[in-house]
Amino acid sequence: MADALTQLGFASWLSVLIASIIKVTLILVGGSVGMMFLTWYERRSISYMQDRRGPNRVGPQGLLQPISEAIKTMTKEDATPRDADKIVHFLAPVVMLGATVLSFAVIPWGRMFPVDLNAAVLFVIATGGLHSIGMMMAGWGSNNKFALLGGMRGVAQLISYEIPQVMAIIPVVLMTGSMSLQKIVEAQNDFAGLGWYVFSPVGLLGFALFFTASLAEGERTPFDIPEADSEIIAGYMTEYSGMKFAVFYLSNYMSNLAVCFVTATLYLGGGNGPGVDALGGIAGGLLSLVYFLLKSFALFFVMVLIRATVPRLRVDQLMSFAWKFLLPLVLVNILSASFWVALLRWDQQWPQLTEWFGAPSTADATNWGRLAIAIVLTLLINAGAVALIMRLTNRNVQKHLYTTDEELALGLS
Amino acid sequence: MNPIAIGVFIVIALLTLGSGIMVVTVRNIIHSALWLIASFIGVAALYLLMEAEFLAVVQILVYAGAVSILVLFAIMLTRQVTGEGVRVVFERWWVALLIALGLFGVIVPTLWKHGATWEEAAKLAQVGPTPVDGAANSLQVATATEIGRSFMGEYLLPFEVVSVLLLMALIGAVVIAYEERTRRRRVLTLAEELALKKRGIVEPRDAEGAVVPREAEGKVILLDSEQA
Repeated sequence: MADALTQLGFASWLSVLIASIIKVTLILVGGSVGMMFLTWYERRSISYMQDRRGPNRVGPQGLLQPISEAIKTMTKEDATPRDADKIVHFLAPVVMLGATVLSFAVIPWGRMFPVDLNAAVLFVIATGGLHSIGMMMAGWGSNNKFALLGGMRGVAQLISYEIPQVMAIIPVVLMTGSMSLQKIVEAQNDFAGLGWYVFSPVGLLGFALFFTASLAEGERTPFDIPEADSEIIAGYMTEYSGMKFAVFYLSNYMSNLAVCFVTATLYLGGGNGPGVDALGGIAGGLLSLVYFLLKSFALFFVMVLIRATVPRLRVDQLMSFAWKFLLPLVLVNILSASFWVALLRWDQQWPQLTEWFGAPSTADATNWGRLAIAIVLTLLINAGAVALIMRLTNRNVQKHLYTTDEELALGLS
Repeated sequence: MNPIAIGVFIVIALLTLGSGIMVVTVRNIIHSALWLIASFIGVAALYLLMEAEFLAVVQILVYAGAVSILVLFAIMLTRQVTGEGVRVVFERWWVALLIALGLFGVIVPTLWKHGATWEEAAKLAQVGPTPVDGAANSLQVATATEIGRSFMGEYLLPFEVVSVLLLMALIGAVVIAYEERTRRRRVLTLAEELALKKRGIVEPRDAEGAVVPREAEGKVILLDSEQA
C-alpha cells in the first residue's frame, strides 16, 4: 500500500505513515464492528439452542441490538470504588484492550497481511499473555475480595493454559519451517488449496488441543472460571461499570475473535480454498477473505455450541485438565510431528541431514509411499496417546469422585 | 542511522530507564512490580528497534507475561494485599550497589569490544545475516533461525547447562509440592463433620491441638445419605 502511495507522489515517510494509519483504522474498526456482530450472533444462536428467540426487536432480526447496548453502557455512570487504587483501576481495561488489539496486527485477513512479522505466531501468544497483567491489575486495583479472587483465578488459568497453547503450535512451526503466519498459510496451499494441516493426524490433534487451550485463554465457557458469576459475582470485573466494563467486554469478544482467526490460519489453511489460485488477483483475494471469514465464524459457532452444552469446570478440575491431559498430549504431538517432518520433508527442512545421510531417493514430487507411512505412523502414535491418557484420566475420575487432597494441592490454593 | 530511529531510541530508552527507577523508588510494592512490567516492555521495544523480532516477542512472552506475573503472585500470596508503605531500600543497599556496578563493569567492556556500531549494524541489516558457519563476523541479526542454529551448534554446552538448571528447578518444585501435600488435609464440610461426629469418630489431634493428617490420602468419607 505504501508503494502505491509513493507512486502517487507522496514523500516516502508520509506514505508509510498514511498506509499505517489506514491499516490501523481498518483493524480497529473491523475488530470492534466484528465484535458487535459477534455478540448478536452468539446471543441469537444460543437462544435457539435454548429454545427461545433472543434479541430480535431492534432493527431487522435484532441486528442493531449491539448498537443500542453500546449506547446504553456509554451513558451509564462510571463508578470507581472509594478505596480502589484509582490509576491501576483505570489502566486495567486499557491494558486488556491494548493487548487484544495488538494481536490483530499480525492476523492475515485472507491473503491480506497487515504486518508480516517473522515471529508472528509467538507474537499472538505473547499479546494474549499480556491479558493476565490487565486481569491482575483489575483484580488488585478494585480493592474488592471477589475481584481479587477472580483475578488470581483468572491469571492462574491463563498462565497454565498458555503452556499447552504455545506447545500445540510447535508441530505447525515444525511442518512449515517458519513462524511467520504468511509462510504457514502458503504451506497449506497444496492439493488445490486443501492441504490444510487439520487433515493430517498431527494437525488434527494439534487443532483440537490448540482450540481447547485457546478457549481457556479467552475465558470461554467451560473455562469461564475468572468471571464465574454464580460463584464470585463477576470476578475481576466486579467493580467495573459503564464504559470501563464495556471495554472489558469488547476486549473479551475481540480476543475470542482473534482466537478463531488464528486457529483458522494455523490449522484450517487461512484464506486457502479451491478456486483462490485459479482466480488470482483482487478477485482471488476477496474469495480468500470470504473463505477465511467463513472458517472463523464456523469456529466461533463451535465456541457457542460448547458454551450451550458443556458445564463449567471446577477450579481444581481446570488445573488438572491443563497439566494432566493437555500437556502430555501436546508433548506426544510434538514427537509425532517430528516423525512427520522427518519422513516427508527432511530434504527441505534439514539440509544438513541430507549431507550426512544422502539425499532422499525421490526428492522431486510428493512421495505417496512416504506420505502413507507418515500418516499411519503419526495416527498410531496420536490415537494411542489419546486412548491411553483418556483411560488413565477416567480411572482417576472414578477413583476420586469427590475432591481429594491431591486435586486441591494441584488446584490453586 | 536515521534521525527518526535515534529519536525513537532515545524516547524508548528514557521510558525504560524511568520505569526502572520507579521500580526501586516507589513505596507500594505492587506498583513497583507493575513498573517492572513497563520496563520489560520498554526493553522489548528496544529489541524491536534493533529488528530482533524474535527476541522482542520472547521478552514479552517470558518476562512481561510470565515472570512478572509470578512476581505479582508471590507478592499477593505472601504479604498483606494492600502492600502499602513497604520499605524498598534496605540497610544493605551497598551490597546491591556493588553487584550492580560489577555487572555494569562486565557488560560495558564486553559491548565495547564485541559490539557493533550503528553503521555496521545498519549495513548488516541491509545485507542480511551472514551464515553462522563462517563465524568470522560476531554480528548476526538475531532471527529465530540464527538463534536456534547457535544454540544447537556454537553454544550447545551453555544451552544444555541451562536445561539441567531448569530440570533441577522442576524437580525441586515437585518435591516441595509433595511435602506440602503430606501435611495437608481436606477441609471437611459442615455436613461431613456432623456425619463424623454422629458416627463417634473423633479427629486425632497432636499435643498442640492440631489435627493429625489421616493416613489414607484422599479417602472419601461417605455420608449416610450417600451410602444407600
